[in-house]
Amino acid sequence: MAVNNKIRQFFFPSLTPKFLIRASSVALFAYLFFGYLCIPFTIQGISMEPTYRNGGVNFCWRLHTLFSEPKRYDVVTVRFAGSKVMLLKRVVAREGEQVEFRDGGLFIDGKKIEEPYVRYPCHWNLPPRRVEKDCVYVVGDNRSMPIENHYFGQASKSRVMGVPLW
Amino acid sequence: MVKIKYLLIGGLVVIIGMVVVFYFFPNEEKKVKKQFRLLSEGVLKSPEENAFTMLQKMKNIGALFDEHCELKAPSQSLSGSYAREEISTYAGSARAYFSKLDLKFYDFHIIFSERAVAKVTLTARLTGRSTAGEQADETRELDCVLKKIENKWLFSQIEVVEVLKK
Repeated sequence: MAVNNKIRQFFFPSLTPKFLIRASSVALFAYLFFGYLCIPFTIQGISMEPTYRNGGVNFCWRLHTLFSEPKRYDVVTVRFAGSKVMLLKRVVAREGEQVEFRDGGLFIDGKKIEEPYVRYPCHWNLPPRRVEKDCVYVVGDNRSMPIENHYFGQASKSRVMGVPLW
Repeated sequence: MVKIKYLLIGGLVVIIGMVVVFYFFPNEEKKVKKQFRLLSEGVLKSPEENAFTMLQKMKNIGALFDEHCELKAPSQSLSGSYAREEISTYAGSARAYFSKLDLKFYDFHIIFSERAVAKVTLTARLTGRSTAGEQADETRELDCVLKKIENKWLFSQIEVVEVLKK
């Protein structure tokens, strides 16, 4: 009987002031945490395969970029007008560096950069260009498609929202 | 204790009242958003769409635009001032290329710079399948200007923001 009461109390608690305050606090915390600090998202698209698969679920951890600058090899989320739709890309160069693709190889300031995360064959060619101030150069890991079909380039650091949790 | 309970219930009633007022009473922001919803409905295409629906939708899309609308989309080779009829025709030919099409808008930021001018920044996502069977999935940030003419908000400028610069 006591167990039944406890179960009933758990699923249908009495609307006491204490309960209402507790429930409101949990709701407010969840709203702020999942709305601004750790934003859940689903991956739609293949531009980061095989590192991140289409249909995967992840969280955008915002504190990482609030307190530190994005570094090379960091996977970051880049926002459009807000956080509802974001791009998931990898930082390959920082401001002031020169980016170039030669027959699929990434060259930063003329030096070839090893990219173990690129698993699919790539034959991209892109003339050298310098990353502007307060920008980072982001590219997806999947470069098997023609360069024209891949959305990449330099983005303002202010657009970098955070990093995926895993 | 009883007083606190009544206070909480009173507070809850006030909050619910405010939410109801906010959601059900029309305001200019909602009218602006409605234009985007109508544009989405106009662009939406299913494989079963017949010629009559197509013509009706083309007409509906045209009605959402000002007599002349400034379009700035360098990546789509669209730049300049276009008449309402031109936009309607362009939308029709673009829709004809697809067998299935869906346009969704996210993250609205609306500023009323003047009484009859609304500046809207948002994310637009276009998904679909071409008649040749190719999948399309394009997301862009848009800066739009809508003007209130004869009590209707009409698109007078649309600019595609360059989030990633190659």
